[in-house]
Amino acid sequence: MKMIRNRFGNLSRVSAQLQRHVQQMSTNAAAAPEEGAVINEFRTAVTNPGEHSALQVAKFYTIPAEQKKQIFAGGGLPKQYEQQIKTFTEACLMVRNPALELLQYIKATDLTKPVVRYVLYGENGTGKTLSMAHVLHYGALNDFLLVHVPWAPNWMKRPKEASNAAGQEGMIDLPFDAAAWLVHFKAQNSQLLQRLQLKTSKEYVWSKRESTPAGSSLIELVEHGIARIKYASETTAALIAELKQLSTAGQCKVMVAIDGFNAFFHPVTRIFSDNKQLVTPDRITLTQPFLDITNYDWTNGVCILSVDKIAMTEGHMDSHMPRYLLGQEGFEHLDPFVPVLVENYTDKEFHSYINYYLDRHWINKTPQGFEEQLKFMSNKNPYSLMQLVRAL
Amino acid sequence: MSAGLTRLWERLPLKKHAAQSRIRVFSNQDQPEIEDDEEFRVLSLRTVKQQFQRRQQVRRDPITPPRTTRMAVDQDWTAVWPGPRSFHPASVPLPLRQGFTERGAAAPSKFANAELMKIPNFLHLTPPAIRQQCEAIKRFCTPWPKGLETEAKWQRHFPIEVTTTDYCQSLPTIRNPEARKVTVSLKLSDLRFDSHSRDKFLRLVGDRYNKETDILTIVTDRCPQKKQNYDYALYLLTACYHESFVTEPWEETKSEADMEEYLFERNQSKISAEGILNWNAKEGAPKESPSKSYANSVEQLINEGENEYNLGKYKEEVKKMLNIV
Repeated sequence: MKMIRNRFGNLSRVSAQLQRHVQQMSTNAAAAPEEGAVINEFRTAVTNPGEHSALQVAKFYTIPAEQKKQIFAGGGLPKQYEQQIKTFTEACLMVRNPALELLQYIKATDLTKPVVRYVLYGENGTGKTLSMAHVLHYGALNDFLLVHVPWAPNWMKRPKEASNAAGQEGMIDLPFDAAAWLVHFKAQNSQLLQRLQLKTSKEYVWSKRESTPAGSSLIELVEHGIARIKYASETTAALIAELKQLSTAGQCKVMVAIDGFNAFFHPVTRIFSDNKQLVTPDRITLTQPFLDITNYDWTNGVCILSVDKIAMTEGHMDSHMPRYLLGQEGFEHLDPFVPVLVENYTDKEFHSYINYYLDRHWINKTPQGFEEQLKFMSNKNPYSLMQLVRAL
Repeated sequence: MSAGLTRLWERLPLKKHAAQSRIRVFSNQDQPEIEDDEEFRVLSLRTVKQQFQRRQQVRRDPITPPRTTRMAVDQDWTAVWPGPRSFHPASVPLPLRQGFTERGAAAPSKFANAELMKIPNFLHLTPPAIRQQCEAIKRFCTPWPKGLETEAKWQRHFPIEVTTTDYCQSLPTIRNPEARKVTVSLKLSDLRFDSHSRDKFLRLVGDRYNKETDILTIVTDRCPQKKQNYDYALYLLTACYHESFVTEPWEETKSEADMEEYLFERNQSKISAEGILNWNAKEGAPKESPSKSYANSVEQLINEGENEYNLGKYKEEVKKMLNIV
């Protein structure tokens, strides 16, 4: 029942006409579990990722719409998966082994020790981002401040605007992207920030007239960055430095999640300076804070990073292994890290996913052997499967 | 001109007859003229060669029967077949057959059989022949030195192996240019190196070193004499060995990027790992250093390249080091 209520809550935000239409659909779809009063075998009622264990492997759990909006409103789920969520009117994630492994590590972590860096890697479309989303959900529910970059290569590949940094010579600011990230940070953490009442440790002077005094709350800092887009990059750097200090002091826990982390070390970007020279990531002001927070010199946190072939550019996509994608510099920055492999579906997961699609009436025609056929055509790759069964 | 002559000749039939008969008188004096009346004589203006000349018969010696028929049963075979030689049917008293014919027919006999001549034979290496030769050279042999009974022993005492070749040939000169070549080979593990000198030595010798067998081979042929080449090979070996211990001033400028292999000891990874292990350690407390197995796994990951196995090993070592379960 809770699930259905959530779905209605979600729908109330959609336009009235669509609402009526979809409501009809969802009530029809919801009829099945109500009748049997038992949950389908491919679903699990455990919606708290902290309670997930090997029992729930290959089963779907639903992220409540409120939480989904809080965590993933600014990105974090792949676009096509987002569309699928909208179509199915429920945000379902499959409990899979890489995420479980990470959760187990995080739960057992000694937070007084320097942060441990976990690196998700795997072929294209195997579910690195969704594994990260699963862990993010855990972090949000367990009072971790989320420092989440939904897709780092966006900054290097398609920045909204690039301007020369005011303070530092030869550096490039991405003010709009930095502000967008601050908005994302605020959306994810505003409740927790209000509860924790974190204060800045020193005064930040932005210009002659503007400054953030020491002892002001972090929310004020973030809001200043959002309001004064010109200083968004500097605000980001300040915010991250503050977070490192605060968490080392034990005032908060921080979960860093950066998708496509190898983009910070890939020298090819699409940003050009005034004299039409290519700007390497180390000359972007946003890079340094995120490299700082993935360093091992602070405590009370976890780092979940993912390395991805797609974060690279043409000619650099030969392997999905972390050392290749990070390069020497990146490897030295992260070493020692814990690599976590994300693989294609197992048979059980694949079967479960097909059942889910059937349950959502997404697969309508079920001729003899269609599951085997899909299995061979997609090679059990999650993204390939989604593409194969997508709408035209 | 000739037509006029013929006409004149025809007009004088009598003279012509007289001339012919006169010739016959002089040439065939002692032969009776039998055919004179029976056959019409042909006028022959040119002297024609005798048409049917009998071909001269080639005189052949009568074929002697093969030697094998006259061989005694207890003959000395080493005298019949003393050295390597291609097969000869008349000398080998064996009913050999070799070759392919049509189905059902027997294989061709040994006479005029190219198949038997093509294949190498060991008729000169019969056990009695070998025994005989060993007996003959025995008086030149010295007893085997004591203490060199096994291969391991003599390899320890004589690590260097020198290979030369002598040539026997039937030419006006007994010299063969190939005989000057000298090959010196030794196991590199018999030489003592430190890591720098070993690296430098391998660079100096280049492809003369075989990594799989650990054997260094120096071939010299630039001097005219075998002795000179041997001396030169040993000089090369000595010079390379001692040169490898010299550290030139420019070798200090070798940076991490120039290193041929990744070493954990001199890299950032070690600093990071030590930083994590000694986090919040008190001043003066003994420094904890990362385990050997972790260092090995990092080195293996970088040097051998990434694969699931190496990465899995690295993961296990990191988990062990950071106490992650």
